Amino acid sequence: MSTHASEPLLPRGIETSFAGIDAAFAQVGHGQRLRHPRGLTATVIVIGPRERLLEATDALEHLVGVRAILIAEGAETAPTVRVTDYAIAIDGLRGDYINNAVAALRLSSLPSLAWWRGGASASLEGLADLADRLVLDTADPQAGWNHARTLLDRAAFTDLRWTRLTRWRALMAHLMDIPEVRDAAASMTALRVDAGDAHLAHLFVAWLRSSLEWGGKLTVDVRNAPGGAPLEAVHLGNGRQGLTLRLMPGRTCIEAVASVDGRPGASQTVSLGDQGLAALINEELRIRARDVAFEKALAALDPAG
Amino acid sequence: MHDHPLLDGLRIEPTPGPTSIVIFGASGDLTQRKLLPALYHLSRGQRLPARFTVIGVARTALGDDGFRKKFRDSIKEFAGVDAESDDVAASLTQRMFYMSGELDEPALYDRLAVRLRENGGDHGVLYYLAIPPSAYRSVVERLGAAGLTAAERGWRRIIVEKPFGTDLHSARALNHVLHAHFSEEQVFRIDHYLGKETVQNLMVFRFANGMFEPIWNRRYIDHVQITAAETVGVERRAAYYEGAGALRDMVQNHLMQLLTLVAMEPPIAFTAESVRDRKMDALLSVQPLVDGAHGPSPRIVRAQYAAGWVLGAEVPGYRSEPGVAPGSTTETYVAMRLHLDNWRWAGVPFYLRTGKRLPKRTTEIAIQFRRPPMQIFKRVSPTSVSPNLLIVNVQPDEGISVRFEAKLPGTRMQLAPVMMNFRYGTAFGGTVPEAYETLLLDAMLGEPTLFARHDFVEASWALITPVLERWRSAGPKPIPQYEAGEWGPAEVDVLMAEDGRRWRTL
Repeated sequence: MSTHASEPLLPRGIETSFAGIDAAFAQVGHGQRLRHPRGLTATVIVIGPRERLLEATDALEHLVGVRAILIAEGAETAPTVRVTDYAIAIDGLRGDYINNAVAALRLSSLPSLAWWRGGASASLEGLADLADRLVLDTADPQAGWNHARTLLDRAAFTDLRWTRLTRWRALMAHLMDIPEVRDAAASMTALRVDAGDAHLAHLFVAWLRSSLEWGGKLTVDVRNAPGGAPLEAVHLGNGRQGLTLRLMPGRTCIEAVASVDGRPGASQTVSLGDQGLAALINEELRIRARDVAFEKALAALDPAG
Repeated sequence: MHDHPLLDGLRIEPTPGPTSIVIFGASGDLTQRKLLPALYHLSRGQRLPARFTVIGVARTALGDDGFRKKFRDSIKEFAGVDAESDDVAASLTQRMFYMSGELDEPALYDRLAVRLRENGGDHGVLYYLAIPPSAYRSVVERLGAAGLTAAERGWRRIIVEKPFGTDLHSARALNHVLHAHFSEEQVFRIDHYLGKETVQNLMVFRFANGMFEPIWNRRYIDHVQITAAETVGVERRAAYYEGAGALRDMVQNHLMQLLTLVAMEPPIAFTAESVRDRKMDALLSVQPLVDGAHGPSPRIVRAQYAAGWVLGAEVPGYRSEPGVAPGSTTETYVAMRLHLDNWRWAGVPFYLRTGKRLPKRTTEIAIQFRRPPMQIFKRVSPTSVSPNLLIVNVQPDEGISVRFEAKLPGTRMQLAPVMMNFRYGTAFGGTVPEAYETLLLDAMLGEPTLFARHDFVEASWALITPVLERWRSAGPKPIPQYEAGEWGPAEVDVLMAEDGRRWRTL
């Protein structure tokens, strides 16, 4: 049993029942200085096992202008509810009632982002109709990805692994801006990825495959980097030309080097950016449309994992 | 259409192709305070291309190492970054080079040509004139003579800092010099106000929302007030400011840009030409500021700050500032009333004011709507109804506010004005980019929407120059004074009171 079992999902606030949420909100708002007094820009609905929600609670504390709903999946039909000035936490709600709770609590006046941190992937069905965007974020993403593939025409999906790849993708794209590198791209034969997160590595490979339409001529070698960052290094080459992206020793920056005909063609060092949960969700909150590049990468992944 | 498929759906976009930036005036204040920190932030945010170099050019003998040290010092002071422990800064430092020489010396440009070839002849090259305007002509002509203004591959562009001339004649002369060596598409006249998030948002606010544009006209708007207030005095710029004054320094460029963004008709598309054409239409519709042949224009008030107290400190008057002539008549404050001759704005006055040593630093556009045609609450509410107000805060707290009337809670029907606020600082999270970051990137991308076009500059000077001539012909007689730390001289209140209006208290 997790040591988190007795820890409330929200560290403060008023405990109530589902029916008492409105009254509790009025109570926390009365006479208090609200944390976000200037208006809200989105509702973030976090769904998953309670231990993964505790982690999300910390991240939500750092988001600005967000109304949060946390739903820990359990077996209760009358779960405990806690309300603060910016969040509602529902602890232990039965899985098949999650959609009912979201339907009751979402606001039509705010965009809704569902942050799915695990649980029965069947709940994605209902969420697809209630949330404007769904962000998958589970330890093993395969079930969620497979389910998401069937729902792409109903909702905008992404995965937090995809968000972690933003800087890497941009850097790879920037190298391709160099004409001689772009000319050499079609002749690349080998792609090696060193990663602490194999799922993320495969998503990156799928993105390259789907974007550059390499088909089968590319040899892909995904190597596990135990204890490493989700992505440590990427090398794409054909013996004479090569592109290398690697995390620098301090792990806060990525260095990209292009070599053409064995000579250094260009290099660039950029910040990896904040990879904390709050920053990643904040990035997703800025996007309101479907992410077609992600959908194409998802389609290019092997459904069997 | 993207150049290659990896750019599709990229969240960090767009990024220019291989680029070299050549900064003339690389040892100067603007470079240290604004340009180098902006380049660092662009690099950190992954907005610079993989192949990128900065070549600093100035008279001061620095060398590559000296320039790199200046870069490190600059980002430490103005971006709070320790370059020694920052990988991005270290990487960018290696891309910085420096050339010293006299700006009118042809050999300097031959050396520059060699350096640019070494960097890759098919690069884009962006020249940045961070130098006194008196040196513009020389640099532009030398660049042209050295064949550095065009390339078979890649692109060549030039950023020109304000002031774009000192009157209509000199502005035309500057444009003539620029156009002798660069096409208009290559010239980017920078007005940093246009890089501010709120200024760009003004177009989104007006043209991406269906509810505001129908009331954005003479039927519903009573008047518009545009204020650009500074707390600082002339600082170390007396040599420049004595010959400029507030009218040239602020009104001709910044305030005219804001005015036209408020007054312009909807463009047919968000393209540089369409947006700039509509701004130009608005500017051309402004009535001449000087009418009649004699006497000062009643629509314009100029003044000068006297000694006073600003932000908790006693400050000297303008004429006591170092480098300022004791009998100077240079204005540090201008207020004016403008009218636009077009269907949308006929009869709606635009009031502009700007000044130094005012109580607070703020720039805002306030659009005041007409009162309701009937005052049905007049008999039951002891307070009068305030007109609706839409305020665009340009700086420092960027955002938009709307003022409307609401019923005060209670058993009586009592009205009170309330504000609905949108603030960039809190609404979206993240960091709002500095104007110079936005504008440098736009210039590298060849996106001119946020830069001033030659005809706009000339039309703006055409409005301002007769005022300057009128003031010059008035001779060196004293101009009104206002105490530093107050909102201008009494004459500016008269300007409004004549119309039955008053300035907003900011």
